Amino acid sequence: MSVPSLQRLRQVPRHLLVCEKGHARDARSRHAAHVRDHAYNCRVSFLIPECGMLPEVLKSTIADVGDYYLVRNLSVHELVAHEFIDAFVKKGSCYALTYNTKIDQDNTAALLPTGKLILSVDKDTYEELGLQGRPSQYSGKKAMRYIVTIDLTDSTFHPDSKKRNRVLWALKEKKPLEFDFLLAWYNTGAEGSTLMSYFSKKQIQALKPKITFSTLRDLQCPVLQSNELQGKPEESCSTEELFEWLGAVWNQVSLDNKSSSFLSTYCCPQPNMMVEKAFLCTITGFIIPEKIIQLLEQLCCYFGEPKLAYWLTLTVHGFADSPVSWRESEHGFHKGGENLYNFVIFRNLDYWLQLAVGTYDDCPP
Amino acid sequence: MARAEAAAATFERRVLRGAAEHQYLRVRLELPDGGARPSVAQLKQLVVSALRELHGEVGAALPVDILTYDAKTLSAILRVISSGLVKLWSALTLLGSYQNRRCAFRVLQTSPFLLALAGNSRELVLD
Amino acid sequence: MVRFKNRYVLCEVVSEDPRCRQCIEDRAVGLAVRDAIGRIHGDYGLACCSISFTVKYLNAYTGTVLLRCRKDSYRLLCSALPFVRQLESRGQRYPCCLRTLHVGGTIRTCQKFLIQYNRRQLLVLLQNCTNEEERQCIQKSLLSCSLTEEQSRSGDEEDDDGTETD
Repeated sequence: MSVPSLQRLRQVPRHLLVCEKGHARDARSRHAAHVRDHAYNCRVSFLIPECGMLPEVLKSTIADVGDYYLVRNLSVHELVAHEFIDAFVKKGSCYALTYNTKIDQDNTAALLPTGKLILSVDKDTYEELGLQGRPSQYSGKKAMRYIVTIDLTDSTFHPDSKKRNRVLWALKEKKPLEFDFLLAWYNTGAEGSTLMSYFSKKQIQALKPKITFSTLRDLQCPVLQSNELQGKPEESCSTEELFEWLGAVWNQVSLDNKSSSFLSTYCCPQPNMMVEKAFLCTITGFIIPEKIIQLLEQLCCYFGEPKLAYWLTLTVHGFADSPVSWRESEHGFHKGGENLYNFVIFRNLDYWLQLAVGTYDDCPP
Repeated sequence: MARAEAAAATFERRVLRGAAEHQYLRVRLELPDGGARPSVAQLKQLVVSALRELHGEVGAALPVDILTYDAKTLSAILRVISSGLVKLWSALTLLGSYQNRRCAFRVLQTSPFLLALAGNSRELVLD
Repeated sequence: MVRFKNRYVLCEVVSEDPRCRQCIEDRAVGLAVRDAIGRIHGDYGLACCSISFTVKYLNAYTGTVLLRCRKDSYRLLCSALPFVRQLESRGQRYPCCLRTLHVGGTIRTCQKFLIQYNRRQLLVLLQNCTNEEERQCIQKSLLSCSLTEEQSRSGDEEDDDGTETD
């Protein structure tokens, strides 16, 4: 065995930050697709400088973020049930994610709005299940974690097919898996939410997202220029600097340190300007992308009337323990399991989008 | 910020691989009940002395910042230069005493993005 | 089985005080270096360097010291050497410092370097001579080391050492 060399001591876990800029009204812009592809979001927060009171439109959008459901001890085979698929999966976007499971130690399941059920299971469970899957991308040479993907909307997955019977048998009899599930359903039709009535025999709870507001006074904000992603010395700040500053604001880090300070040398990036007040809002819960797109749209409309602010930001945090991040790209925990993105919307409706992922994650689309 | 520039906003994409300058750690100090709680300066001193013990003067010279500190819960957010993450983490883990009393640092979360520390889904209580 | 690779660090004890020479012994040098590593790189660095760390060769007359450590950690060792401030032995302590001359992968390369180095030192001494007697003495040893080079290396090294102490 060799001593960990000095090089290893200096190593940093892999991570990626993707920065994009574009125009929100551009027909080819993919910003909405990025939001839609990120299925599981636990926290949405936005910051508007120079804003004391939220416009009514935004208020109602926030209030409309919608309920989600927590179902205790739900067997996975109920999600594969024919009635469930017909009633929910095929008639809208159905989101499900296991609650309080840790992806680096427990089994995890998730249902994507595309109708794909993804099980991330350890080796023993995988062998007991007897369903076809593939070894996890991040479990090294000796796979200890397997990913099983079942397409519920597939045409071969009809009620009497052999495939479906095998899946049902595996999940019902071979290895019954039970989790607490977070569920959310979105459909464009007029039908009311029936998840509550469908799972009425189970322990189901309807939960409302927690919403908190706060106002910060005399906040130092970096100066940004929408067409300068990398920033210009003395003129505007780069995306990385903004990203760190935003983290500092949301973590209530003091921004006015001196470089000689013993405790902390962090200070607001240069150049910056003092903003009299800034409005902060945080929504936590199981928030579906459709609602985030609505919120994003409303935030763009905020600049419809002349405003003092030059830009505003919208930050979305993903679940660290979801088996996927963007689309179906596999997600793992490693050290932090971070998968988050941040929009900066400028007055002229240009946007910056920053997508950040940790070690066990693919490059965002 | 001229509005005329709106048309000039062309799509651009930059991918930054492992480019984060700093790493952030959210830590909690565990102390036996009923003792003196360290002030923020004492906490920094404690972190530096932990580094000095394990990694010597070279380790003690690592730039570590205490971004936030909550004296009630004894939790703090530390910032360290990326190449020093392993050194800081190992030093915190092996620290055993504060003012001759047993203590321990718990590293709750670590990330190259400060923003990620704002929303930890593992600490989320939804019901 | 893979061979453990070592690094040999050749260095020279530099001291103002001529009495320091009596302090140059295995234990004292080893302790002083360990102390410096512990101070600079802490417990971790000390533990890394301690694997197979020894004082391999030592010459009290010329003040030459050959240290050995694992290849993985030689950077830790080298970076700590300038921080050796004193040698202590038999209750006496003398300020000194270590000058790194050469870092090699085998003792052989270090020896070769040392011979070269000492030969060059003789030339320097020759230039700095003040009286005729000294000059002749050094010239003699210079000639002798050039002649005996083919025959034996060890003898030649002893010659070097002997003359340099003059």
